[in-house]
Amino acid sequence: MKKTISLVAALMMVSGVVAAHPFNEAFNEQRAMYGKGHSFTWNGQTYITDHPEEIAAAVVANAANATALLAAAKDQYTQVLAVDFGWTLTKNLLKSAGKALETGEFRKSMDLSAQAQYHSRMGIAQYHQSQAEWIMAVPE
Amino acid sequence: MKIIKSLLASASLALVASISQAATSGNTLATVDPEADRSAMQSYFQKRFPQVALSDYVNGIYALDAPSREQWQDIEEFPPYEFDIEAGEALFNKTFANGKSYADCFANGGIGIRQNFPRWDASQGKVVTLELAINQCRKANGEEALGWKKGKIAQISAYMAFTSRDNVFDVQIPNDKAKAAYLDGKQSFYARRGQLNMSCANCHIAGAYIKIRADLPGPTLGHVTHFPVFRSKWGELGTLQRRYGGCQKNVRGVPQKTQGEKFRNLEFFQTYMSNGLVVNGPGARK
Repeated sequence: MKKTISLVAALMMVSGVVAAHPFNEAFNEQRAMYGKGHSFTWNGQTYITDHPEEIAAAVVANAANATALLAAAKDQYTQVLAVDFGWTLTKNLLKSAGKALETGEFRKSMDLSAQAQYHSRMGIAQYHQSQAEWIMAVPE
Repeated sequence: MKIIKSLLASASLALVASISQAATSGNTLATVDPEADRSAMQSYFQKRFPQVALSDYVNGIYALDAPSREQWQDIEEFPPYEFDIEAGEALFNKTFANGKSYADCFANGGIGIRQNFPRWDASQGKVVTLELAINQCRKANGEEALGWKKGKIAQISAYMAFTSRDNVFDVQIPNDKAKAAYLDGKQSFYARRGQLNMSCANCHIAGAYIKIRADLPGPTLGHVTHFPVFRSKWGELGTLQRRYGGCQKNVRGVPQKTQGEKFRNLEFFQTYMSNGLVVNGPGARK
């Protein structure tokens, strides 16, 4: 049985190579086509199409875990706002995650927090990528 | 739909690196050359749309798309911004409580000066847009600042633009600090942002005159010349930076601060690109 390797967060976070790296291209394509939880093979190894935040959220749904995930998502959101690259949907995702936590819908809250944290992480990656690559779009 | 959205968000990120234009254009204070940038921008559009006269870019998308131009010309027969110019003139001429007026704050009494904004203000060490100058004038004379995006400030700005029609844009970059602000604006213009991972340039350079759903984005060249605009979608007059915020929301990005440093620098860059074109604001747009 091939070893299944979870998506390595560090790989995704290296600024400037988020998109250009062939693995990320393969991952993004598989994720877009099949959504999360899908296995695919790349360079002889099997990977799943889960984001690191989804992997972190794949734990027991309880108040403690939901609270921790929401806190992490809010922290990430603060970071992306600090570099001015926030995405519009994130705030409402956090709000909904908070409401779900209050009403005891821990699984829902954790999933929403994971989504919000992903948005923020990608916004930060986008910021770094933009810093490095904006010049590529300037007409000569 | 979910797949399409995901593709937009992630695959477009993946494509950034493959854009093969660039990159002799300066991206540092030492290498950036605003005149070379302006020349390259104008040359790009002239090569792409050789049938369009450079001077016609002040009309935005209506310079490129004949059917839209026809509709717009019909609208311009009874301009929707006409009453706003009148209101702006009345506001402009109304004296402040201290007896002074806007005319006391601007060169030439504020008449026919739109083409010089935004300008680098050495004493403040920053780019000053026309709207910022209007509010600074108010504050200096003990009046409350107006909201930035619409209403009175847009009307005053519209009147000042109207008195400047046919004057040629002549934004100056007098020193390295101003050049740094220009470079910052240039970077903002080309930087992708938001969940849709799009930059100003995506729609208004490469995407100019290419349909996005039912709309045709206008070329960035000449963009600023007709602001403030009465936009049919708004049903009222709005400032250029109101539009900036709307664009950023459209790509699902949290908009940057209106009249904050980033937007002022962006306006500085974008206006410099249109140096040599004439003021034709206020305008009417879809």
